[in-house]
Amino acid sequence: MSRPELTGPAAHFYNEKEARKYDSSSRMVGVQREITERAIELLRLDHSQPAYVLDIGCGSGLSGQVLEEKGHFWLGCDVSRDMLLVAQERMHNQAENDDDDDDDDESMDGDSNHNIKKQRKSTGDLMHHDMGTGLPFRPATFDACISISALQWLCYSNSAQQNPRRRLTRFFSSLYTVLKRGGRAVLQFYPETAEQAVLITECATRVGFAGGVVVDYPNSAKAKKHYLVLSFDRNSEQKRKAALKDGLSSAAEEQQSVLVTGASREGTKKAPIRKKKGVKTKEWIVHKKETQRKKGKAVRPDTKYTARRRPTKF
Amino acid sequence: MRLLTHNYLQSNVKGTEEGYPLGIVPETVEIEKSPVDRELLLSILPKLNYDAVHQAVAQLRLHCSTLPKLPSTLPENISNDENLVNDLYFVLFDVHVKNGCLVCPATQRKFPIKDGIPNMILHEDEI
Repeated sequence: MSRPELTGPAAHFYNEKEARKYDSSSRMVGVQREITERAIELLRLDHSQPAYVLDIGCGSGLSGQVLEEKGHFWLGCDVSRDMLLVAQERMHNQAENDDDDDDDDESMDGDSNHNIKKQRKSTGDLMHHDMGTGLPFRPATFDACISISALQWLCYSNSAQQNPRRRLTRFFSSLYTVLKRGGRAVLQFYPETAEQAVLITECATRVGFAGGVVVDYPNSAKAKKHYLVLSFDRNSEQKRKAALKDGLSSAAEEQQSVLVTGASREGTKKAPIRKKKGVKTKEWIVHKKETQRKKGKAVRPDTKYTARRRPTKF
Repeated sequence: MRLLTHNYLQSNVKGTEEGYPLGIVPETVEIEKSPVDRELLLSILPKLNYDAVHQAVAQLRLHCSTLPKLPSTLPENISNDENLVNDLYFVLFDVHVKNGCLVCPATQRKFPIKDGIPNMILHEDEI
């Protein structure tokens, strides 16, 4: 299955036809809804208080609808105008179905009925914007941020000016500013490779966020979902305030190093110790036996005869 | 585009000093009345920049004079003033600027609004 990110910019891929297809596929709607519910769960929002949530790459408004059902209001931004127009239609239809009870609107799934607070006209709003250029909001605007299946688009450059790392850093540093302190961001994305996941996480932590990646269904290639969960580290806030008090500029902030843990990290492989001539030395043999033991293979114990030069050729 | 959204939008064009608040030049404004959610309004009130709301409403009134007039400063115990609460909710949630543009106060750069969606996409040299 080829990735849509490889075909070109998101705005070109999500044209009118693709946008309609995306929104009308019930399987797609179901999957996106599930991902959104999980992301909202990871956000740990207080559902008794309406929160202002930023939806990055909101697309056709599927995730925004789930947010509204939980009682929050949102602002969605997307780079594809066609997707946004579909979102508008969806919000408009939702408002129309608001008044009648016996509707067959696809949003009334059986499992979400008990979650729906009073259905009212949509409290979401839309914006046409490219996330890689920074978010145009004043500081501490949003209580939380959510993003479903959008972040990986930043990793592909579509022109000479676009540098993925620069776009990611720009995005995350602006996200840091527009989120209120104590807020949280959960961004679900599809990394093509482990390096991409590391790149994204690195750019996020370098701007000051705390957090990491939650991987659901890690053993299934198809069902695997990556959620980048970001929050504000209380300790770093105090350090930052202390640094500012001492008159240091914000550029002197400590760089947080990235801690990428996980089974995929390459084991501590050291280069085998070899003599220059390439002859198998005792150190090399002993090291090799140790490696094999670690793998769990049956290995003879090391004795005084290990790596002894044999009198005759084997 | 709602006025609630407008209250938080600013221009982040490279080198802009004070890109907030954006001026509104409306061409089409639509009203979609919805039931007032009092608790929602009272919860967002502390974070709103009231001056920007007031200025935005004043700019929209030039186009659509049926909009309510808001006081120039917020009174202290606003939760007692039902009319003001209703007016504020109406102005923030029910008024949609469908077509027009947003203007940066510092650089006069125009951000067009089409079909209710503001276009904040920056040009190559503004990033």
